[in-house]
Amino acid sequence: MLKLIARRLAVLPLVLLAVATVTFALTEISPFDPVEAYVGAESNVSTERKAEIARAWGFDQPLHERFGRWIGNIARGDMGHSIVAGGQPVGPEIVSRASASIALIGGALLLVLVGGLVFGVLAAAFRGTVFDWLVRTSCYFNTAAPSFWVGLLALYVFSIELGWLPAGFTSDPRSVQSASIDFDHLILPMVVLALTGYAWFTLYVRNTLLEVLREDHVQFARAQGIGEVAVLLRYALPNALIPFVTLTGTHLAELVGGAVLIESIFGWPGLGQLALQAALSEDIPMILGITLCASVFVVLGNLLADVLYRVMDPRVREAAA
Amino acid sequence: MSAAGAALRLRGGLTQRLVETARRWPTYMRVAAGVLALLVVAGLLANVVAPLDDTAVDLDHVLEGPTAAHPMGTDEVGRDLLTRVLHGVRISLVIAVLASLAAVAVGALVGVLAGTLGGRADAVLMRMTDVFASQNHFLFGVLLLVLFRPVLGGTGAIMLAIGFTHWPSLARIVRGELLSVRERPFVLAAIGGGASRHRLARRHYLPHLLPAVGLAFVLTVPHAVFHESAYSFLGLGLEPHQASLGNILADGQRSLLAGGWWIALFPGLALLAIAMTIGTIAEYWREHLHPRWRSELEL
Amino acid sequence: MSALLEVDALSVGFRTRRGIVRALSEASVAIEPGELLLVVGESGSGKTVLAHTLLSLLPRNVDVAGSVRLGGTELLGLAPAALRELRARRMALIPQSPASSLNPVRTLGGQLIEGARARGLSEEQARRRLRALLGELGLDFDFIGGRYIHQLSGGMQQRIVNAMALVGEPDVVIADEPTSGLDSELVETTAAQLQEISARGASLLVITHDLRLAQRLAGWIALLYASRIVELGPTAAFFEAPAHPYGRELLRALPEREGKSIPGMAPELTALPGHCAFADRCPDRFDRCTEALPDLYPAPDGVLARCFVHAAR
Repeated sequence: MLKLIARRLAVLPLVLLAVATVTFALTEISPFDPVEAYVGAESNVSTERKAEIARAWGFDQPLHERFGRWIGNIARGDMGHSIVAGGQPVGPEIVSRASASIALIGGALLLVLVGGLVFGVLAAAFRGTVFDWLVRTSCYFNTAAPSFWVGLLALYVFSIELGWLPAGFTSDPRSVQSASIDFDHLILPMVVLALTGYAWFTLYVRNTLLEVLREDHVQFARAQGIGEVAVLLRYALPNALIPFVTLTGTHLAELVGGAVLIESIFGWPGLGQLALQAALSEDIPMILGITLCASVFVVLGNLLADVLYRVMDPRVREAAA
Repeated sequence: MSAAGAALRLRGGLTQRLVETARRWPTYMRVAAGVLALLVVAGLLANVVAPLDDTAVDLDHVLEGPTAAHPMGTDEVGRDLLTRVLHGVRISLVIAVLASLAAVAVGALVGVLAGTLGGRADAVLMRMTDVFASQNHFLFGVLLLVLFRPVLGGTGAIMLAIGFTHWPSLARIVRGELLSVRERPFVLAAIGGGASRHRLARRHYLPHLLPAVGLAFVLTVPHAVFHESAYSFLGLGLEPHQASLGNILADGQRSLLAGGWWIALFPGLALLAIAMTIGTIAEYWREHLHPRWRSELEL
Repeated sequence: MSALLEVDALSVGFRTRRGIVRALSEASVAIEPGELLLVVGESGSGKTVLAHTLLSLLPRNVDVAGSVRLGGTELLGLAPAALRELRARRMALIPQSPASSLNPVRTLGGQLIEGARARGLSEEQARRRLRALLGELGLDFDFIGGRYIHQLSGGMQQRIVNAMALVGEPDVVIADEPTSGLDSELVETTAAQLQEISARGASLLVITHDLRLAQRLAGWIALLYASRIVELGPTAAFFEAPAHPYGRELLRALPEREGKSIPGMAPELTALPGHCAFADRCPDRFDRCTEALPDLYPAPDGVLARCFVHAAR
């Protein structure tokens, strides 16, 4: 197990190197001029001044040297300077925004897992009933509905019309500790971000359970007179949970992307909003930094899922040993 | 099959075959296909169906809720929302279809190369595919948009952002199918019999791959619709004046505080309808392509 | 003494897209306490459905008619809770494939004890009884308990499900294809184990297509063909001289006898003929066989056979 973790962690720098290479290549192919973006298209900065900036950032160096230096800088944690952060380094800005995103994504993931599990199990238990039909229909609806649209409607209904929940920010901007994260501010963005994943997971748990319920060992458990609830929870569910865990790892990546939209709608000052601001002001170092951080996040999530998968399934555990 | 039915099939033009296929569809498929056809026709004929000019500003009727004259209401500068939504459906569908074609082309190319070259090239291509697959494609799309929008324009950049991020799964499928079809007895026999590469590809590989590629295309379209509208909504996609569904939703967001809920509601409903109908059709098709053992016994 | 398990005119049909699959048509058998009944038939003749009907493990798209009584209690239409109680306290199943009949991701100990507790034993009693039963079969409970089913050999897996069947001291044990996938040596062992289960006093219903196994077991035999019982009698008499042409041809097809397989195919269960289902393949066929459906008629040695040859007696 430790070997597996070590091996996968050893791959992480390689994955990041690959991502960095691809993104670097893309920035090179594109006609995008970072200096122009920095000084602004309409500014009347002199050509000499632009050349100076280019030199300061190393844009006058040959390709391979720039690439080498860039990779070296990233390896040291220096991802350049950001326009949206007012020329400050990218790394610290990402760190300062991370907590809001982690709270949002973590909360949403928790909702996805718990909601998917509970409703998936209930739908499977009451398969063929009106309840099952309602759960399934609402899930199909949710998988097809764009999250940002649902977010807008939720914002309108719950914040603007009903006034039950605040419409944005992590806490009341008038309060003294406006950097803190208040739960009532978290609810709406968290729930909306979780909806799509919840729908997928619910359908997934339900369908997997129904498949497992047809297996021999479940029939045999029933033949022994074990009750239907115990059969569902102790014979079918453990098997259905195993693929569920792997799905969690991949879903993390989806939540990271969804956070960009949800944070922008709800004015949630996390990495997603930062990424959007960076994109709108063509702040390439910041976007690259966030992309790399997201990669780390996703790879770690997949690693966690893989480890759990092995812990849970004795057959895989042995095959790996 | 009856004699009349056989005659029908012999004459069978495309329309007739379509009608015959449709006759076997379950009700939900007919509903999905009908709604989608309606959306496509309404979108294509947006200029004819929707009587009003989608850019016609009417400052006397600003932010009005749904009425008989404006079934979906008007926006903040008095444009008819129904007209704009119909135009939006057209723009979003056209871009989504083109972007999905791009994604499918990239995926098929990588898959075919990996599957036929084999060896080290295969390994490199598949590792590359893994790296792309482990990326968050939404965020990666944002990067592509920022880098290439200045040259390609909004439409081109969106196609690139979608095409370049939605290919890994198809590449894996195509490679896997190629590898497995090569091991089939009839293909081994053809290879042993000295069939040319060209003949192998045309007679054996292509017929085997086309359904998978076609299905991947249909499955990608709803994703592409979502991504296009999301990017436009964020202000990273199409030009703000273009009536894409995402842009209208961005208008909707601005109008929400003024109580203009309809500007947020209706374009989203159109998105939902597109995603649900295409999704339903794709799922039905998938079931028929890979008829997994579906229990006749339970449910 | 009245029969322990009485199956009376039991018909089971599955509603499928291809039409109604008649898995069992008006089957009637009875088992006295301690008796052994073999239900023999080719795959698709409806014998596993019989086992599943007795245990009420049938899916939802099924129509069941007739009656199944255990110790006088009607099982068909019984409330789920009462059924579960009966299944737990009075019946036991030896499943067809032990390897896939235990949960692959849970250790065996927990499953064995859970199964025993469902049969009304306390945790303490369950452990004691399992330890004893497994010990008799040459297995160590503590060794087995921490393992997963795939870590054990086929023979061990079989002994474990045998022990699980006996743990609740059931009145009826149903063995579903106990020799599927076993070689002849293991068939011998299985036959011995089944005889021993029978010797403990439980009624035993053995469902099999394996004549090698049937031959080694005493008691009664019911031969199924195309959803109907075509011959019912003492096992010894059957192997000596089958009363039904199907039974006779089946025995002739055995490799150690003539090894001559029966020509033709069994009819589809969706389209059973209105006359004798075996008529098309029967060498002794006469006019009446393709005109009417035979009843079970008495044949020599206390045997019942569904064949017009015996109708005159």
